[in-house]
Amino acid sequence: MLAVSPLRNERENQIQSFSMEENNEFPEFTTGNLLDAIDFDDFCVGISNGDVLPDLEMESEIMAEFSVTAGEEPEMNRENDSGKNEKAATVSISALDLGSGEETVSKREKPIAVNKIADKGRKSSKNPPGKKKVKVDWTPELHRRFVEAVEKLGVEKAVPSRILELMGIDCLTRHNIASHLQKYRSHRKHLLAREAEAASWNQRRQVYGTPAKREVNPWIAPTVGFPPMPPFRPLHVWGHPSVDQSLTRTWPAYVAPPPPAWPHHLPPLPPADPSFWHSHGSYRFPTAPVCGIPTPVPGLCVVAGQTMPRPPSDVHPSKESIDAAIGDVLRKPWLPLPIGLKPPSVDTVMVELKHHGISKVPPTCD
Amino acid sequence: MGSDSPAQYIHLVHHLIEECMVFNLSKEECMEALSKHANILPIITSTVWKELEKENKEFFDAYEKSRGEIGSERECPITQMRPKKILLDSPGKDTVAMNED
Repeated sequence: MLAVSPLRNERENQIQSFSMEENNEFPEFTTGNLLDAIDFDDFCVGISNGDVLPDLEMESEIMAEFSVTAGEEPEMNRENDSGKNEKAATVSISALDLGSGEETVSKREKPIAVNKIADKGRKSSKNPPGKKKVKVDWTPELHRRFVEAVEKLGVEKAVPSRILELMGIDCLTRHNIASHLQKYRSHRKHLLAREAEAASWNQRRQVYGTPAKREVNPWIAPTVGFPPMPPFRPLHVWGHPSVDQSLTRTWPAYVAPPPPAWPHHLPPLPPADPSFWHSHGSYRFPTAPVCGIPTPVPGLCVVAGQTMPRPPSDVHPSKESIDAAIGDVLRKPWLPLPIGLKPPSVDTVMVELKHHGISKVPPTCD
Repeated sequence: MGSDSPAQYIHLVHHLIEECMVFNLSKEECMEALSKHANILPIITSTVWKELEKENKEFFDAYEKSRGEIGSERECPITQMRPKKILLDSPGKDTVAMNED
């Protein structure tokens, strides 16, 4: 732990060589304004990649600030907040560097740091000339180009320098690319693993269809209406924090649970359903509503080939359960269709009914 | 019933038919069930069913096919009603000994 006060003095005097005594591990560690530009993104990346940030450069203006206003916290904060935000936000520092620096300047810098972090997400296009290391703002567009380049090279084989070439963007350094690439790869792995898991779960359900002929397996028995689960997730624009958020939010509405959790014991259903189940109890197995996915399901049945996933049918379906199901639909017509077949043409139906002598629908003479 | 327009009504019948299909009912069984539990004229059920079939040919084909398989089972049900038969067929002879009456 480093004492704050001596440091301050030291910093003023020996900003450049600051690191030497205090931080043996970080030869290039220059100062406390580390905090100013905490780039949490780089936290794990820079180091393990072997691309430890070498070029931690200091904004001389900020340094000047420190020296000048060494004793004036509030002022510094203000100044930083108002004028220096952009600059500070663009300095990106690795976790290691950050760690030590933080301690040293904690008292004074924290408030600033917090602000700076908050500003982290802002554009990086306004880079002050020259000395600073640019913090890259991975916009969706930028990320898209990145992904393009990576895929062209092959995800596993993609090398930052080549990616950089392919992207052809000046403001990017190889290091930026390298760290982003690492994140991208790990994210992909995560997504692929999840998809594989979901796919295997899907298969498991189909498998249950055959042997389950004689078993009453209400919870796991594949229902006709079960939509193919996850593969709807696009592998895209993950880098941008706000996009991630929105992705997470749309998911529950769709089919799957939020990305990190993957409840595969029960078929994931939109919220409406649990009450749907409870009203019936035992025999009525979960009929998964096809939330706006009518087409895949019949396809699912057909693709499955011989085995169409079907409900337990060893015993003749009990009349009570059918009655219950029907009653439920009558009471709650807004519930989604269990299979989601393409609806019939109303006109055609009406014409047909007329042929059979029914002109009023619903028929009043019941 | 609460369904005002023909379209709504037909949608309702459609929904009910789907529910029945979840239980693997045949068209006739469905007509009976809907008539009994939802007061829907069998002719309406039948008409909607037919139209659904037109729109979802592949699905109905697969449905009928799988129903056919189940149907044959129903005729000669190998269910718990005849445990001996099952157990005898199964490799675990020990359990047979215990369960035989």
